[in-house]
Amino acid sequence: MVIIEGLSKKYTSQGPSVPALVDINLTIKEGEFICLLGPSGCGKSTLLKIVAGLLPATSGKITINDKPINGPGPERAVVFQDYALFPWMTVRDNVEFGLEARNVSKDERRQTSTKLLSVVGLSDFADRFPHHLSGGMKQRVSIARALAVDPSLLLMDEPFGALDAQTRQGLQDELLRIWRDYKKTVIFVTHSIEEAIYLSDRVVVMTARPGRIKQVVTIPEPRPRDMTGLEMNQRQREVRAVLGEEIARAAALEQADMMVGAAHG
Amino acid sequence: MADLSYSKIGEDARNAAGTQGALMSWLPGRDRLLGIGTIVAFIVIWEVVYRLGLMPVWAFPSPWKVTLAFQEMIMNGKLLTNTAASVGRQITGVLLAAVVGIPAGLALGASPTARAAFLPLCRLLYPIPGIAWIPLSILWFGVGFKSTVFVIFFSGVWSIMFNTMTGVQTLSGQYTDVARVYLAPRSLYTRRILIPGSLPYIITGMRLTYGVGWRVIVGAEMISSITGLGFLIDDARWQLRPDIMICGMITIAMIGWISENWFFDWVERRTIVRWGMTTV
Repeated sequence: MVIIEGLSKKYTSQGPSVPALVDINLTIKEGEFICLLGPSGCGKSTLLKIVAGLLPATSGKITINDKPINGPGPERAVVFQDYALFPWMTVRDNVEFGLEARNVSKDERRQTSTKLLSVVGLSDFADRFPHHLSGGMKQRVSIARALAVDPSLLLMDEPFGALDAQTRQGLQDELLRIWRDYKKTVIFVTHSIEEAIYLSDRVVVMTARPGRIKQVVTIPEPRPRDMTGLEMNQRQREVRAVLGEEIARAAALEQADMMVGAAHG
Repeated sequence: MADLSYSKIGEDARNAAGTQGALMSWLPGRDRLLGIGTIVAFIVIWEVVYRLGLMPVWAFPSPWKVTLAFQEMIMNGKLLTNTAASVGRQITGVLLAAVVGIPAGLALGASPTARAAFLPLCRLLYPIPGIAWIPLSILWFGVGFKSTVFVIFFSGVWSIMFNTMTGVQTLSGQYTDVARVYLAPRSLYTRRILIPGSLPYIITGMRLTYGVGWRVIVGAEMISSITGLGFLIDDARWQLRPDIMICGMITIAMIGWISENWFFDWVERRTIVRWGMTTV
């Protein structure tokens, strides 16, 4: 169980401190699939990075299974938007990286990577280098790398954002299958409403900057979900109504920024 | 697979090498013909200048005389021994520069404190030409192998060090994030991420270091050595043998060309080209 309590984040690096996240409270159950949804710049990726332990929070706390987090930990793995595969390692070595860091023996590493590469359908590409792979395949490698260390919490930062619609659809289904088979808790950042309601048990809608939790929408529909069906359409409208205001607000903020920038420039 | 990575380079210079390069050398293309043509024209002009007597004959040998000098130097073994002496010093000096420069560059790139402490001193030492170290190196190490190696090392270490530093500094922060997420210990991070991730810069640095070293070695050998190609050239002055001088110069050019273009290209093909990192 992940508990986020009174979490805030301010950026202070350049000049006056800018609040990025304000008073985030969220409890995520074991095995739950959560999407963080919000307009661009709302701090959803920042929140994910704080949960990952890559960024410190300014105040508040996060506990995972009653242990407060303070930096990255073995129970968490991250899938980044632009894959973050090491171009100098073969696909197999990339998948094994987390295990190598944990001093797992070579044979055991090989066993795990062989199994996971077949899970993500890339057995034939084990000895290739990442630059020979398509975007979708790269993200599968990245997912396999995350699964290799057997985390209980999988953090995904807009993992399918750079992919075309068809590849994206395929990977979403694959992810749901993996999630079901491996019983992971997933926190998934996205700016796509369709993606959020297709995948998650609960959608956490965030406000425009600074990021607050605006509303948590539960999606009770059983999977596989028919996105063209009446219920899902209803959900989509519901979430779109909540998010729409925030997108408009984010756009207004951005415009104001540009005006200020122009005035200073 | 090789073809795929190959098309991404798109540089004429590198097209000359590579797997297709072997074929290309048998079927010269337009660019290659132009290049060869200019070299041939250069030799023809050289011959014309000689024939017209524009330069004193004792100081200006014909291409043919240089060819004969090559034959003489090869037959009496002087070319081989002196080349071996120079190459040995060069390789020792460059390896030494790499052994010191790469770890130093990694440390400088990774630590702002190290940069603040050491960069000013490095920037001060860097502009001193390698040749300027020769007298001091003779005092310290005597005439011969050690002093030449020292000069090569001191001239070349900066390129590899600064390039490695830049490589580390420009390495994507995301790789570091991945290392942190998977709890990679420092040694694994250095070995598996920092070094290969900076390799495009490290190879460029080694190319420069090698080039600088090969360019100072002749000067160093002229002053502080009784072997080597630099010595061969300088010694020919006392014998009034300009043909031997040019013979030595051509040898230097060819070895420099082969090692700089052939060896480092080969290293790049085996590593960063294979990994698709050449767009860096």
